[in-house]
Amino acid sequence: MAEQILGIRGLDVAAKGVPILRAVDLEIGAGEVHVLFGPNGSGKSTLLSAIMGLPPYVVSAGEIRLGGERIDGLAIDERARRGIGMAFQRPPAIDGVTVEDFSQTLGSADILHREAASLDLADFAARHINVGFSGGEVKRWEVFKLFLQDPRLLLFDEPESGVDLEHISAVGDAINRLMRTPNRAGEARSALIITHTGFILDYIEADVGHVMIDGHIVRSGEPRALFESIQKHGYKTMQP
Amino acid sequence: MLTEKSMPALSNEERNFLAPVGYEDDARRSGTCILVDQSVRYVHSEDPQVEIMPLKDALGLYSWVQDLMFGLISPDENEHVKLAAERTEDPVGHFVRVREGAKVRLPLQTFSVIGTPQGRQFIHDITVIEKGAEVEMISGSAVPESVRAGHHVSIGEAYIHEGAVCRSLTIEQWGVDMDIHSYNRTKVGAGARVSSNQVLVAPVKHHASNSVSFLGENAVANDHSVVFAPAGANRIMRSETHLNGKGARSESLTRMVTAGGSITNEARLVGEAADTYGFLGCDGLKMTDEGEILSVPALLARHSKSQLSHEASVGMISEEKMAYLMSSGMSEDLARDLIVEGFLNLKEQDLPSEVRSSVKAMIEAAKSGSM
Ligand SMILES: Nc1ncnc2c1ncn2[C@@H]1O[C@H](COP(=O)(O)OP(=O)(O)O)[C@@H](O)[C@H]1O
Ligand SMILES: [Mg+2]
Repeated sequence: MAEQILGIRGLDVAAKGVPILRAVDLEIGAGEVHVLFGPNGSGKSTLLSAIMGLPPYVVSAGEIRLGGERIDGLAIDERARRGIGMAFQRPPAIDGVTVEDFSQTLGSADILHREAASLDLADFAARHINVGFSGGEVKRWEVFKLFLQDPRLLLFDEPESGVDLEHISAVGDAINRLMRTPNRAGEARSALIITHTGFILDYIEADVGHVMIDGHIVRSGEPRALFESIQKHGYKTMQP
Repeated sequence: MLTEKSMPALSNEERNFLAPVGYEDDARRSGTCILVDQSVRYVHSEDPQVEIMPLKDALGLYSWVQDLMFGLISPDENEHVKLAAERTEDPVGHFVRVREGAKVRLPLQTFSVIGTPQGRQFIHDITVIEKGAEVEMISGSAVPESVRAGHHVSIGEAYIHEGAVCRSLTIEQWGVDMDIHSYNRTKVGAGARVSSNQVLVAPVKHHASNSVSFLGENAVANDHSVVFAPAGANRIMRSETHLNGKGARSESLTRMVTAGGSITNEARLVGEAADTYGFLGCDGLKMTDEGEILSVPALLARHSKSQLSHEASVGMISEEKMAYLMSSGMSEDLARDLIVEGFLNLKEQDLPSEVRSSVKAMIEAAKSGSM
């Protein structure tokens, strides 16, 4: 296996005292794309949030490492600066803060003007972040946001849900383009993509698939085969 | 009478503390009046459509000016106003007149300065925008860096005549230990339009403002205020908008942020005539557990065909929004600044760009002193 980028071992996560994830193990190597399947409410978003360090999720056991370094005790922005970037499933709207302000604060206004057209966001510079965006626009912005950062580990939470067919290939292309270009430090990028529908598999080359049920990863393997099995038999046969 | 010969040009120091609140040189303004403590420090205008002079001179020049003084505010409104009305000294303040039909190209500017520590200021300003005239006004207050304490009481009466258009921007920067009381009355004539932006973000000990406006038939008023209270600041704002004429419309948005200080905002909208429309938006954001915001929007419909509404909210900075911005790599401070600036909506405020950066700097300075 390639150099390990993300290493999760024995991870338990709770929110407001309620346990959600238990004993999750996951390893992602440099340059790899992993997809995460699972029914609604199984804990997929919780896993991504725990990697990013978002409230109210609390790691109650186990560890998360990025490039060998323990990150589960770090603040959100410290994790981001070490190379984690996340496209949110349901991001908050930030009133009064424009896409341009956001890019300038990150020092990436040049990228905004260069790349926005590829996700059909060319006219968005003056829009307030996620304010009045349609479902599909939210998703495209969340993916585009990762171009403005410079992550090494990309986390996508259902990047294709709510995106119309016309734009779904643009989202797929954008993910591919991010994956193909190394970050500014010249490191290959890795990705963990949550997909509920599996559509995204038609657009990207995924290396490993995982199935999460009830807060636990119950199976890992070749992503297409896993997805076909889910489509044929549902998640029932995969109960631990 | 004050002539320009007897009035030395502004010093560099004076320009420097006035620039952040909107001051520009004569060449870029249609008129200028600067009051320092109890005197008119500088007055200038080359625009024949604009008259700007000390109020005392105007009272001597035009007999009708005396009727405008205390025309919109009663001398026994309260202790302060009474004190002002009973003063035996000559009134200190500016008189501004924009002539009928004038389309004034450059903004007009007026400022009040407390120039000496523990300075006392009693000001009465009169503004007349005549029928069909159009003008942009920039006004504000400033103090030299060495002055922290002082007391300022001002009365402003503005007459915006029929069909006039007046856009105004007010930026106040007082000293940390100052006590400020201002009373503003505005009469907006039929079909006239006024829009005002107010920026109250610099530290101050106690600032009480009290403003009332009266709107005539089909008059339109749009107000937008941003208010910031660092620790130690106490701001009390009371306002009343009377929709007196048929079809009068008013929209007022106030955004308040406390970083430890206290803000009270009581805004009242009164629908007095048919087909009037009014909206009050009063939103508050708390940056810390300290400090408080009291937001009291009130609607009084005296006419059955008056449509009035309000929205008010007060809350802490959202943890979810902070986490979202920080997940892009922004520090906690940067994320908070972005949310606060966005909330105060500095972009939508019609601020000249140099003023916008000074407003940001004022907030920045006030925050670092209070957090
Ligand atoms: N903030 C929270 N507080 C309490 N329970 C939560 C919270 N977030 C998620 N949960 C619960 O954890 C479970 C997993 O949720 P989530 O990770 O969003 O699932 P998925 O993304 O797979 O649909 C659900 O039962 C959900 O209700
Ligand atoms: Mg989810």
